Amino acid sequence: MAHKTYFHIKQTCRNIRQSWSTQLMTMMTVSLSVLIFTFFLLIYMNILNAGEKLGDELRMIIYLNEEVLPEVEPMYEKKITDFGDVEKIVFINRAEAFARLGNQLDSERDVLEDLGPDFLPPSIEVYPEKNFRNLTRLKQFSDYLTTLPGAQKVQYGQTWVERFGYFIELLRVVVILSGVLLIMATVFMVSSSIRLTVVAKEAELEVLRLVGANNKFIRTPLMIEGVLQGLLGSALGMGLLYLIFMWTQVHLTGPGFLNIFEFAFFKHETTASIIAIATLLCTGGSMISTRKHMRI
Amino acid sequence: MIRSFPENSPVVDIVKVTKVYPPDIVAVQNVSLAVTKGEMLFLTGMSGAGKTTLLKMICCIEKPNKGIIEVGGQDVSRLKQKKIQQLRQQIGVVYQDFKVLPKQTVFQNIAIPMEVMYRSPREIRKRVDELLEILGIPHKKDIQTEKLSRGEQQRVAIARAAANAPPLILADEPTGNLDQEAAKDVMGLFEKLNREGSTIIIATHDKSIYESTRHRKIELEHGLFCSQIVHKQLPLIDM
Repeated sequence: MAHKTYFHIKQTCRNIRQSWSTQLMTMMTVSLSVLIFTFFLLIYMNILNAGEKLGDELRMIIYLNEEVLPEVEPMYEKKITDFGDVEKIVFINRAEAFARLGNQLDSERDVLEDLGPDFLPPSIEVYPEKNFRNLTRLKQFSDYLTTLPGAQKVQYGQTWVERFGYFIELLRVVVILSGVLLIMATVFMVSSSIRLTVVAKEAELEVLRLVGANNKFIRTPLMIEGVLQGLLGSALGMGLLYLIFMWTQVHLTGPGFLNIFEFAFFKHETTASIIAIATLLCTGGSMISTRKHMRI
Repeated sequence: MIRSFPENSPVVDIVKVTKVYPPDIVAVQNVSLAVTKGEMLFLTGMSGAGKTTLLKMICCIEKPNKGIIEVGGQDVSRLKQKKIQQLRQQIGVVYQDFKVLPKQTVFQNIAIPMEVMYRSPREIRKRVDELLEILGIPHKKDIQTEKLSRGEQQRVAIARAAANAPPLILADEPTGNLDQEAAKDVMGLFEKLNREGSTIIIATHDKSIYESTRHRKIELEHGLFCSQIVHKQLPLIDM
């Protein structure tokens, strides 16, 4: 067993030495594909996390014509929960709304002095459950809430939520496309480089066949080549991504829009999975090429 | 190191074999031959007599159009890929065009059949040194074979065929590019391997290497056996 491994590794090293420039190009292509894919994936995952956090603050405000009397509150609650589960419902009367505004204005509350405590409309604040916080569902919920008795209008920062939703959708498409790019580039490049190895080693493969080398002896080093290209290429890609991440942490922090996001790198398991998948893809590419181009 | 073929059957048994290359070039016609274990046989004849084709059929590079070739009791034209690989591990072949790998060193070339059989690196080093010593080129061990003369390349090819001390060795014009001294070394190696138990078939038109031996000689002409010289009691030969 030890001898077998020794000869397979020795043969792999010989192959790599013989065509190191092709091997390097393949590895760089794998790295670049992994870098592109993981770059978008990292942004996507971080924005999803940010969206989750912002979603915790999401509430729908139903402005009413008249205040809701305590005895009809259960009726409103029932009507609202008929559409779907909500985390909580808060009834705000005019006085409470006025007090809140005063608190928000803080030191500038004196601007409210000339206004009566009933100039703000009463409202109901609805905090939807997380499970129906997608854009379509929120719209449907908003439309439903406008049908409640006495409802003037419903607000939940539609424009912002919609834009955020579209942005996430766009990013999802980019992640999928870069994933497809990763698959195509790795499989194609690795299978091409193995094909070149096979062509370059035609005479050697003939001699191996003539001295009775079995399929395993001939194919295993080529498979190891694919594994190495995948492993080293994807590890390099992930390493580059980490450097970019560290750079952004140092240079792009501070006040502003980016502060909403707490940028985090992939978990160790995710990193390991990405490297493992890229390695598997490269191994697959190598096996396909070996079977297709090598007559044993 | 020798792994043996079955004791009670000829190592090579050729029965009424014909090989025709397209469109209608008859290389071997209705040839029958039995080679017993431990025998050294010379196949002689002019170029184009069918010697190489016969050797190629024995080591499964070519298939006969008619007839049966059995090696170690197995009909080679019916063997599956895996069995062919196993059989080839037991046959050392010296090709007329050597088939040495020019970019690899002498050591690497000779080591190939032993690596294929996963022998230990120590064992490989020892065996390569031994063979190079016998063939008179120990100082060429780490030189790329493309930098060797034709005669030296031929010796590398012979060493490679003998590396595993296989039970059957086929040699196609093994002294074709060698001077008298080197040819003597090569024949000495074949004699040694033969004494150790290998069955050897040498295809040659170099009279100097077989004239003075007492081994069986068979002459081929236009794909047919035309004569046989037997010096001692030999196995059944069906012609």
